[in-house]
Amino acid sequence: MDGFIYFLIQSVNGLKLGSVYAIVAVGYSMVYGILRLINFAHGDIMTVGVYTILVLMTAFGVPLWVTVLLSVVIAIAVGLATERIAYRPLRTAGEEATLISSLAVSIFMQNLIMMIFSPQRRAFHLPEYLSRLHTIGFIKLSTMNIITFAAVFIILIVLSLVIKKTRIGMAMRACSDNLNASKLMGININAVIVTAFAIGSGLAALSGLMLAGEYKTIDPLMGFVPGLKAFCAAVLGGIGSLSGAVLGGFILGIAEMLFAGLMPTDFTAYRDAFVFVLLILVLLVRPYGILGSKEGGRS
Amino acid sequence: MRKLQKVLALLLIIALAASLTACGGGKKSDTINIGAIYNVTGGQASLDKPSLNGFKLAAKEINENGGIKGKKINVVSYDGKTDQATVANSTKKMIDVDKCVVVAGLSDSNYALAAGNICQEKGIPFITSGATLPTLPDQVGEFAFLAPFGDNIQAYACADFAINDLGLKKCYLLIDQSMEFTKTLAHFFQERYIANGGEIVLTDNYMNKDPDFSAQIDRFLASNSGAEIIFISGVPDDAGVVVKQFRDKGVTLPIISGDGFDTPLLIEVAGAAADNTYVGTHASLENQDPKVQQFIEAYKKEYGTAPENAFAGLGYDTMYLIADALNRATDINNPKAIRDAIAATQNLAGVTGTVTYKDGSRVPVKSVTINKVENGKFVFIKEVLPE
Repeated sequence: MDGFIYFLIQSVNGLKLGSVYAIVAVGYSMVYGILRLINFAHGDIMTVGVYTILVLMTAFGVPLWVTVLLSVVIAIAVGLATERIAYRPLRTAGEEATLISSLAVSIFMQNLIMMIFSPQRRAFHLPEYLSRLHTIGFIKLSTMNIITFAAVFIILIVLSLVIKKTRIGMAMRACSDNLNASKLMGININAVIVTAFAIGSGLAALSGLMLAGEYKTIDPLMGFVPGLKAFCAAVLGGIGSLSGAVLGGFILGIAEMLFAGLMPTDFTAYRDAFVFVLLILVLLVRPYGILGSKEGGRS
Repeated sequence: MRKLQKVLALLLIIALAASLTACGGGKKSDTINIGAIYNVTGGQASLDKPSLNGFKLAAKEINENGGIKGKKINVVSYDGKTDQATVANSTKKMIDVDKCVVVAGLSDSNYALAAGNICQEKGIPFITSGATLPTLPDQVGEFAFLAPFGDNIQAYACADFAINDLGLKKCYLLIDQSMEFTKTLAHFFQERYIANGGEIVLTDNYMNKDPDFSAQIDRFLASNSGAEIIFISGVPDDAGVVVKQFRDKGVTLPIISGDGFDTPLLIEVAGAAADNTYVGTHASLENQDPKVQQFIEAYKKEYGTAPENAFAGLGYDTMYLIADALNRATDINNPKAIRDAIAATQNLAGVTGTVTYKDGSRVPVKSVTINKVENGKFVFIKEVLPE
């Protein structure tokens, strides 16, 4: 096989993985941009969404679009509940307190899902029309891959418009700049934060569907690592910048696949280590991320 | 208030002392206490619960047939809760309080090591019914035995089967680098496959819980290595995911793996894509050997369900292994004599193969069952005994 085609195939593998990271990263970026909260529980909201879909699909036989809608609603409800219970009361206590609190929420949710279901991995199947494979040249993609890829850009465009053109978007930008000043200017920061959490949790549920559909298995810990990687993607791309989060997601996904596909096979199992070295190198050169700026970081 | 506490404490002490003497009292009785330590709750439960069921079923059968030297077997069983400290403490209790003369159980090396070390310390024979680490008896000491084959044997059987029965001499090897079990299995497979005249045309690696194999599969496709079979050294979690992704990328070659792939997840996750996958494991429900079919019938009658997996058979065989040794032992109250009798086990046929401890080894030479997935079902192919 031609070297260039091989490179292209591995890049497409990276784009498939990266588009899921990108969607999670956008949600992460919204919350982090405003609160500077590294929300460890973000990936576990994804898991909640996936298990909701599983229960609705297998137990009640509800059509897929209804289950997806319901799982997004439930993920948003859980996201808002954690914000209200575990983060809001700690908002004045400093970033460390909320960070630890989010880690606690994450572990709590993982264990709760293990208790309700079981720690065992189990099968997860999308309807046939979503997992059907299409051959385009030398590349094979499922319907779900194509939807995911398109979804990244639709989400990016819609959210960018919301942030640029609407009142709540303007308030979000203000809060991202300076939370306290925004409060003093009369902005309802709770409404802004709730909106950010709702968008982030909803996107997490969607990306969970995409991840579970791709790998056909789910387990109670499935969200944690993708959640962390998405956070890294958001930082890599430039925190607070939505296009940055998407770019970071794609770079991370492609880097993972290229490291695994091009390095000597002795190292392929350790691809994550190389990906994160790359992350450090990028941050050394661009401390605010690729598309980030100094103003993006809080003054 | 304080007085009440004192009274309560005193009562508790009395109750404790009473329970201790009650347990210790049965020394001169007409039963033999055998310890069965299993993790019937927690992560190991799917293997250990069937094992314990099989173990108890065998004990019941032995008692119905007159017991051992006129004495009945009494199975003393505690839940290890998939926790090494609980396993160790329960094992101690079995020996110190319940006076068990043999302890058996467990399906994972980490827990088997915990229990085995206690037994070795106290000089009580320990047989793990399901852990397959071949170095375990040597790590623990002379009182520790494996009832199943070691990882080397299952790897050898897979290699022999691929070359001798399937005639496939070029292999692509994919290894989970995150576990001792998978690394050992791959090591032994490669050693044997090459010794048999096969060639490993490409080796690649992955990490358990990293569910994306597309980079490895595309590298394999691009390599044009001419591989005829794929050996995947993996654990149940990944079994279905990796097979499905190979098939989705158009790889139709036979895939073979060890007992890590003996899981319903393989077929549940991969569906029709699981076909043409071979699994080297301990037993097959399809095996028409009357011993196997009788066991399945008895298990169904006792528990209302067919044996969940091969581990039920391993528990069953382990109890018979102990009974066989007790019948031959010069003194059934002397753990050292029992140990020597276990070590001398010869040609003991069971559901999961025939056990012989050869040349002082405490890992049995035992046949490996090769199952194949056909039309979404595990089908028995043959038993392989690596020489």
